[in-house]
Order: sequence, then structure tokens, then C-alpha cells
Amino acid sequence: MHLIRLMRGIIAISVQRELTHRANMAFEALVALVGAAAGLLALSIVFTHTPTLAGWSQGETVVLLGTFQIISGLLAAFVEPNLSWFNGKVYDGQLDEILLKPVPSLFMASLGVCHPWSLVSVGLGIAITAAGVAQLEQAPSSARLLLFLLLLLAGTVLAWAARAIVACVAFWAPRFEPDVLYDAFWQLGRYPVSIYHPLIQRLLVTLVPVAFITAIPAQALTRGSDLATLAGALAAAAISIGVAGTVWQAGLRRYTGATA
Amino acid sequence: MKRQIQVLYHYVMHFVLQWFGSRSFVFTLAINQAMPPLVGLAVWTSALPGQRLSSYYLALLFTRLATVSYENHTFSGRIYNGELADDLLLPAPVVLRTLGENLALRCWHLLIGLPLMLAIPFVLQVEFELGHVVLALPAVGIAACLQFLFTYTLALTAFWTERAHGMAGFGATLIFLLGGEAAPITLLPGGLRTLGEALPFRAMHGFPAEIAAGTLTQSAMLTGYAWQILWLGCFVLIAAQVWRAGIRRYTAVGG
Repeated sequence: MHLIRLMRGIIAISVQRELTHRANMAFEALVALVGAAAGLLALSIVFTHTPTLAGWSQGETVVLLGTFQIISGLLAAFVEPNLSWFNGKVYDGQLDEILLKPVPSLFMASLGVCHPWSLVSVGLGIAITAAGVAQLEQAPSSARLLLFLLLLLAGTVLAWAARAIVACVAFWAPRFEPDVLYDAFWQLGRYPVSIYHPLIQRLLVTLVPVAFITAIPAQALTRGSDLATLAGALAAAAISIGVAGTVWQAGLRRYTGATA
Repeated sequence: MKRQIQVLYHYVMHFVLQWFGSRSFVFTLAINQAMPPLVGLAVWTSALPGQRLSSYYLALLFTRLATVSYENHTFSGRIYNGELADDLLLPAPVVLRTLGENLALRCWHLLIGLPLMLAIPFVLQVEFELGHVVLALPAVGIAACLQFLFTYTLALTAFWTERAHGMAGFGATLIFLLGGEAAPITLLPGGLRTLGEALPFRAMHGFPAEIAAGTLTQSAMLTGYAWQILWLGCFVLIAAQVWRAGIRRYTAVGG
């Protein structure tokens, strides 16, 4: 409850700060819009030549793209402003300030600042998902929609945990910058994973679990799913929080601070 | 001219060594650059198996690594933080420093991408005809010039706006869509294809790959080269004009 109140405060402060740069807001919204339109157009070009892509119809692939965009937008709004170039913070000792605050350090380090305008991407992701649903032969039932939302929630938690674990690499290898590489592999999640080489597929369900995070909710919405999948996803999300916390604590034991 | 080439050579060597110090970062940059053509390869070989798209996307990977440009990072930053004032005092054109860093980064990208470019033909059984590759090389050179001028001009918008990086992002989206990355230009639907063939994005990205893959007729190749040279002339003029206008607005730190 305390963390939820804190999160509300973080969002309110971030909104106030960003409202002083309204032109930036309009520009970022435009960038997000052009990016989303380009992604959709690229997909529609593919489907002028083929009815399915690795067994996914056009509507299903658009839903997958929308799901990818929603989770990527949430990460960009709440996680990336904190964890991008995280190794620099470890290297410079900037974590000291976070560690002195009376709240869980992982929470502050990964969610302490937010970038509200990236939520425009989330809105566009919802619109793309809706456009994909409209192309499906059969509209999904409300039960499927509920399942989709719950799986989306589990996927977002998993995405946060995976990103936090990647950031923790900085405690062991502060000179290594995994952000760009992780993001490059993350971008592969906008298409059905089965189009890639088996080796890449394995990577996309383990190290960078974007295939797992986006494909399962998208499939639940387009083809239906079952409660066992939901239970598995929620359990995976809960376990991922524990793993991220453990890795974070192990990493912190290696952190020596700015003056050490 | 000889002196300027010497200065450029020294800048290239300087930045090759400087970026060697950040080799793990350059490695991640190169992999990031290699990803879009590889995704295109995966998407199109899955959508249209059996077509000569593997060789197109492999050639596109080479073109991308050989033409990579980061002036929105390397040069815009110098405008924003006032370091450009130092460059203006030097007895050499300011662009040489940026060009030197650009060429050094391209060398590193090609070197890092080399194992990938050698491995893919074995995995996917991609074949190239030597004649097509030779014909494509001048196009890669012109594309590299075009890409540099395009990104440099967008980076120069830093004189007017704090969003030069976003401007470069717009440029990258256009190259993705109309440069032959989202789909080879020949696979674009009617009107978009005509537009794509004439706009500069294909000239700076997909055109050399089309030649290397052997998908162009002789007349189509000559037309493509004509477009490249036309756009090169336009880009040189535009970059020079934007630089002249921008430098009049520039106020250094403390100015």
C-alpha cells in the first residue's frame, strides 16, 4: 500500500515536471505515432504477398504487434528512465542516494522516475490491438479479453523483472553496457517468434523472454487460452519478482559506493 | 586538399583508437545495427520462401554496416554543450572531425559484423555473383556519402531545436519504410514502389543490395545510379546551406 502511494507520488511529480515542456510532449507523441504507423505499414506490406506469417494470420500478427507495443510502452514509461545506462550509475556511485532512502532499493532504482509521455505508445498499442481484433474472423469473448488483460499484467511484471536482472549485470561487469543489445533482441518480439532461427527462438524464450511475454497474451486474445496457462504465467511473474530481488541483493553486496 | 585528407586520416586513426577503448559498447552498437536486416531476412524468407531474398538482405546488412551514421549523437552533442567552439577555432573544416569519427565507427562496425557476414552464407546457402558485387560497390560508396550527409544535416537541426535526436529518429523511420528494409522496394505495392524508387532513402540503403543480389536489369541499375548522383548533389547543397544558416545562430558557452 505504501509503495502504491509512493508510485502515485512519483507519477504526479513526473507529470508536473514534463508539463513544463509541452512542445516536447507533442513531438514525442508524433514520433510514437509515426513509429507505430511504420510498424503497421511494414506488416501490411508483408501480408500483401502472403496470407499467413509462420501460421499467424494478419489480424493475429497485428494483435501481437499491439501487445508488443503496449508492453514496450509501459517499460519505456516506467522502467527505462531508471534502468537505461544503469552501469554508469553503478560505476559513478550514484546508487548511494537510492540506497539511503527508506523504501526497497530495487523499487526506487527501477521505478523511481517515470516518463509519462511514453504512455502515448501504450495508447497506440491498444489501438493497434483493437485494429488487429477487428481483422479477426471471430470477435473474442469478454472471458478472452479478461484472460488477455491478466496475461498482459503477468507479461509486464516479467518484462520488468527481466530488465532489472539485465541491469544487475552492471554489478559484476560495470564496463559492459547490455542495454543496446537487450533492446535489439527485444525488438524481435514484434513478429511471431517461429520466423526466426531455432537458436534465436531459444534465446527469445529464455535470456530475453519477449516471445513468452508478448505471444502468450496475443494468442489468448486471438485463439483463446486456458486457466492452466494463466496460472503458469502468474506463477512465473511472481517467481520473477523473487529472482529479480535475489539477484539485486547479490549485486548490491558487490556495490562499493561513490567514496569507497 | 592534400592537407585536408591528411587531417581526415589523422582524425580517423584518432577515433579508431578512441572507440577501441569502448569496444564492448561498439560491439553492442554493431549488433543493434545488424538486427533490422536480419529481422527483414527472417520475415521475408518466412513469407516468400524460395525467392532470392537472402542474398538481398545479406547485402543490405553489409550496406547498413558500411554506411552507419551517428552524427545525431556525435555532432549534435558538441553543438548543445558548446564544444563546437573548440572545433571552430581549428584551421580545418569542422566537418572533418565528424567525418573522421563517422569513418572510424564504420570501420569498427564492418570489422565486428564480418564474422556474421561470413557465417550467414554458409547457414542459408546464399550465393553472390562476383560481377554483381563489383557493380554494387560504387553504389555502396555513394550510399555511404548520402547517409552521412542526411544524418549530418538532421544533426545540424541541433542549432534550432533540442530534438535533433528525434529528427534523426524520423529519418530512420523513413529509411526503414522506403529504403528497402521493411521490404525490398520491388515488393512494395504500386504507388509506394514508384515513390520508393524516386526518393533518396532507397539510394542510401536498398539500392546497392538490389544490385548485389542481381535483382535489377541493366536499365534499372543505370536509373538507380542516376537517382543516387542526383540526390548526392542535392544533399551536398542542402547540408552546406543548413550549416551556413545554423552557424549564424550558434552561440558558444558564455557567448
